[in-house]
Amino acid sequence: MAENTPHLGNPIPHDEEVVVIVGSGAGGGTVAYELTQKGIPCVVLEAGPWLLPEDYENDEWAAFNQMAWLDNRTASGPYRVATDFPNLPAWIVKAVGGTTTHWSGATPRFREYEFKTRSHYGRVEGANLLDWPITLADLAPFYDRAEKAIGSTHRHGRPALPANNNYKVLANGAEKVGYKFYATGPYGTNAEPYDGRPASIQDGFNFQGDKSTAKWSTAVREIPRAIATGKCEVRPSSQAVQVTHDASGRADAVLYLDSEGNLHRQAAKVVCVAGNSIESPRLLLMSASALHPDGLANSSGQVGRNYMRHTTGSVYARFDQPVHMYRGETMAGIIADEARLDTSRGFAGGYYMETLSLGPAFLAAFAEPGSWGPEFTEILDAYQNTAGMWVVGEDMPQETNRVTLSPALQDQWGLPAPDVHFEDHPNDVAMREHGYGRADMLYEAVGANGTHHTPPYPATHNLGTCRMSERPEDGVVDAFGQAHDVPGLYVSDGSVMTTGAAANPTLTIVALAIRQAEHIASQLGKGAS
Amino acid sequence: MVDSTADTVSPAARTNLVRLLRAAYPHPRFPDGPYERTADTIIDQVGESLWHRLALVQGLESLDAAAQHSRGTGFAELDDEQALALLRGIEDAQFFAFVRGVTVVTLYNDHEVWDLLGYEGESYSKGGYLHRGFDDLDWLPNPRVEEYDGPEQIVEVAPDDQLTTTGGTH
Ligand SMILES: Cc1cc2nc3c(=O)[nH]c(=O)nc-3n(C[C@H](O)[C@H](O)[C@H](O)COP(=O)(O)OP(=O)(O)OC[C@H]3O[C@@H](n4cnc5c(N)ncnc54)[C@H](O)[C@@H]3O)c2cc1C
Repeated sequence: MAENTPHLGNPIPHDEEVVVIVGSGAGGGTVAYELTQKGIPCVVLEAGPWLLPEDYENDEWAAFNQMAWLDNRTASGPYRVATDFPNLPAWIVKAVGGTTTHWSGATPRFREYEFKTRSHYGRVEGANLLDWPITLADLAPFYDRAEKAIGSTHRHGRPALPANNNYKVLANGAEKVGYKFYATGPYGTNAEPYDGRPASIQDGFNFQGDKSTAKWSTAVREIPRAIATGKCEVRPSSQAVQVTHDASGRADAVLYLDSEGNLHRQAAKVVCVAGNSIESPRLLLMSASALHPDGLANSSGQVGRNYMRHTTGSVYARFDQPVHMYRGETMAGIIADEARLDTSRGFAGGYYMETLSLGPAFLAAFAEPGSWGPEFTEILDAYQNTAGMWVVGEDMPQETNRVTLSPALQDQWGLPAPDVHFEDHPNDVAMREHGYGRADMLYEAVGANGTHHTPPYPATHNLGTCRMSERPEDGVVDAFGQAHDVPGLYVSDGSVMTTGAAANPTLTIVALAIRQAEHIASQLGKGAS
Repeated sequence: MVDSTADTVSPAARTNLVRLLRAAYPHPRFPDGPYERTADTIIDQVGESLWHRLALVQGLESLDAAAQHSRGTGFAELDDEQALALLRGIEDAQFFAFVRGVTVVTLYNDHEVWDLLGYEGESYSKGGYLHRGFDDLDWLPNPRVEEYDGPEQIVEVAPDDQLTTTGGTH
């Protein structure tokens, strides 16, 4: 940590009943900001340390080891991540700001049909589809606010980012194959100074934490501003281990460990769980009580289920001439032409194509895990002349794709580690194959002499494990993210997503969190919640 | 022949390791330096685990026996193709899997390798790539960066996938 220790806010007594927020990422950071702007006191418990932009390492492995959540976890099931990275089902950050410190910035909105997948896709064998209890129209005003908070390019007067080299290849290929809906955004990094932060210097290190602060994260915007209200205390290196309830069944406190492993209790009027879609259900499962024997808020049995990770795959294309894909904003290139519903393609749902670049260190580890020999080294030898893209689309929620507490493995505190079980649905496989095929066509149209299809990475998008539903028996939380069966307990992150849509999730997580905060504030104003 | 005691890696075993790395991760452009540094990292890391150390020493030693058996020469004397063929045959050997696991995160994290591959790494301290080539690709035209503004509209839901009065489409 830097010499310059951050100001953690005004201390709040442990026995004062406040809004207790678990996690300071996209969801938790946003709820803290919105509530404290209205004068509502909040304690933010964050398992990771507070790192400042000057602490961030612009080096792939060093940054990963500095900030990724590396506590014991397991991946299981037939998907390849379980074989190649059995202890790394997901890439999630453990630090103030959560994974928004490592996110890249693509911010498309969900489409209208994506809130109604059960109605549109019908009964898909093996999929646990459900319509959201809200519509695009319900969320639209909050999307506006989220785009302004993040400073998304191409929205609300924010200018576009310029084309970097990787985008030039992507966009020219897109044009050649007849795609139209491509651009360098919407993207959550400043093209010109905005909101007190500078314009991008195209330094190429989105995934490692942006030292320049041109990129939005809750660590540079929501958390410092929440603290500035005087109504917020952030407690870094504080891991929530249980949410408790009173005799009436209402959430009343959070138990957490400090960095030395001492247990503390923070009294709560409202609890907002925003630990991302592996830790949030884990915390609820660890909070089982006599009233909630299968885990807190789990009367539906859906806590931890319907885990989604988006259908993804990357394509790296080799050219005769230099690309230098690593220079500049990593994901400032988005094609939306395939993000639509057209089952004549052989699958339900849609996908985006987005520029992506890894350095040699990560490309070697992730391009074709386990591979060696000349077929592997040719990928690296072509590095300078390589362009890359990510295919990211909707995956099917399945009840058996699931976060559970490991019966055998524990974390460093002796708590059960989470296991993440995942299997592709046939729809996911069909979509990925379609994406690979379209990506090949696109790159071949601008002269690629070879492409490599990279399998999904440890998940960066983790969704669905505490899903929203109209009826309590179908899901964990209601349309505002409040648990159906535990008053005062909210889930405030991507685990509330009923279905995952094609879009990268963060804009929607922020929009839902703003909407939830409005709801909490109005309930508290009425003297209840 | 390699002459290691059960728990130290002899110079000859190190030579075999470097040879193995070159054969398994062939980059004609790379000098020996990155391979040697990777070999040393592997040797350092086995210091932490008796099991890996035993497996590595035994594995490197037996490479010579395997080469003698199939080609009548030491492993270090095999040409690239022969060495690769031999390694393909022992792909599942524990020591080789361990070597690959370390190599993939070490060899390609070597700054000389970054240079050789044409990767420039950290740029913040130099003002980013803004004035250092982030958009210097000149073999394709400059594309539009704004979103498409018509006349066509994206068809979010194909006609056949529109909601019917009965609710589902399937
Ligand atoms: C490399 C990368 C690139 C990405 N790019 C994009 C992109 O372009 N667009 C996009 O939309 N999304 C992107 N994402 C995904 C995005 O980062 C996440 O969707 C988003 O950050 C999730 O928000 P969250 O609030 O659910 O969780 P997080 O942001 O992960 O925050 C969760 C926080 O909770 C803390 N926590 C967990 N458990 C506990 C506990 N028990 N007690 C206390 N604290 C706890 C964690 O330490 C963490 O800080 C990317 C992710 C990665 C890794």
